Amino acid sequence: MRTGGEGRTRLLLIILIVTSLFLITLDLRGVKILDGVRSGTQNVLSPFQRAGSSVFSPFRNFVGDISRLGTTREEIEKLEAENAKLRTKLLARKNADGQLFQLKSVLDLAGRASYRVIATRVISQGSSTDFSQSVIIDVGTSSGVRQNMTVISGDGLVGVVKESYANSALVMLIIDPDFKVGVRVAGSQQIGILSGNGSKRAELQLLDNQNLVKVGDILLSRGSTNNRPFVPGIPIGFVSSVDNGAGSIAQRASVILYPNFSALGVLSVVLSAGKNNPGDALVPTKPEPVPVPTVTIYSTPSPTPSPSTE
Amino acid sequence: MPFRQFSISSLIFILVFLIQESVINQIRLPGGGFSLPLLMALAWAALSSPMVGALTGFIAGFLMDLSQGSSGAMGHWTLIMILACYAFAYLGFGNNQVHGSALTDIFLITFASVLTLFAFAVTGLLLGVSVGSFSGFLITILSNGIWALIVAPLILPIVRRLHRVLFGKQVQV
Repeated sequence: MRTGGEGRTRLLLIILIVTSLFLITLDLRGVKILDGVRSGTQNVLSPFQRAGSSVFSPFRNFVGDISRLGTTREEIEKLEAENAKLRTKLLARKNADGQLFQLKSVLDLAGRASYRVIATRVISQGSSTDFSQSVIIDVGTSSGVRQNMTVISGDGLVGVVKESYANSALVMLIIDPDFKVGVRVAGSQQIGILSGNGSKRAELQLLDNQNLVKVGDILLSRGSTNNRPFVPGIPIGFVSSVDNGAGSIAQRASVILYPNFSALGVLSVVLSAGKNNPGDALVPTKPEPVPVPTVTIYSTPSPTPSPSTE
Repeated sequence: MPFRQFSISSLIFILVFLIQESVINQIRLPGGGFSLPLLMALAWAALSSPMVGALTGFIAGFLMDLSQGSSGAMGHWTLIMILACYAFAYLGFGNNQVHGSALTDIFLITFASVLTLFAFAVTGLLLGVSVGSFSGFLITILSNGIWALIVAPLILPIVRRLHRVLFGKQVQV
């Protein structure tokens, strides 16, 4: 059976391969038509994604909770015990409350730095089978969102707008392996470059070999010309370990990013930043240590008979 | 493949692509989830002639390239899917030893899915696409394989029925 149409099949295969190579070449050369095809597709898809987002939002949280069961088991058990009576009621409101909390946090952060922001919801998450890390948000050019605008959550920097469409935008997350952002260490003003690594742990490389960072140092965005793609002063993460290898030109460190990327719901796009650099004003405050009651026992030693000396 | 069958196959894959973008991508599945167009195309190719397999790969790959989540250049998924579906159809077409049972098909689809993803990553490196850390890469590949193993038994009967309705039992070369 193969021999009958083998010639035709081979010809078709060659045509299809040449077509795909042609597409790759056009894309790598930056031909605008292909961008138009992609953005057109996104414009068609966004109403479906919006509908899907509203329908599957409670289920998405459920799946997210299951996937983090191992790490937060203790916390979940504690919460379950505390909220047993209210669970049914809470389930219905959990989604709305979570989004409200995220919105409040992000507006607090933006307010402290006098950023003009627009709040947005995540309507789709890019599949990680492509090895990229991105989300689609429900605001676009019609709301003033443009390419290369900073995207933040209540915890800090989340990413940057990579593409903007009429009613949606593609956000490249800070954890994307292609993501790079200029950072400075809060307090010491040392600067470096932070690179995404596909996980919540990013890599920092300092630019000056005279500088040293230490575990716990907080990193803030350094800012870009005209505040695009990055506005200054946004918290990014903290140094978790430092590589002091003798062979390296400048010090490298591992950084744990602040935002929880498995629970991105409400975000904000920074439309414009204030004239003044917020400096270290947005550095997150350390949680207050809970005082542990200590019990002091006073005891009076009973008089012991001293040996008699005669 | 006649125009009617090509059009209906395209519509089916557009619907699958829509489900991927508006449903599956909404649910943050552990390990990054799976790609329904990829699995559907491989299952479709498993039942088809090499010519239909290549065309199926072209349709599915082009749609995957249109996804906003796609990190590669436009045409990257198209190229990989054409080759994967053609090879998958070519190796198994008319060979009852390869496509002997549903269980074999499931394992073959899973294996082909992992291999396709690996090929995408490797060719992506040539085109300047980063795949992140090696451990992250391995986790993505492995979890994709596990998801494929879970999803393939669910979609295979549907694909078989659709394929039978569209192509009948006759051989399409």
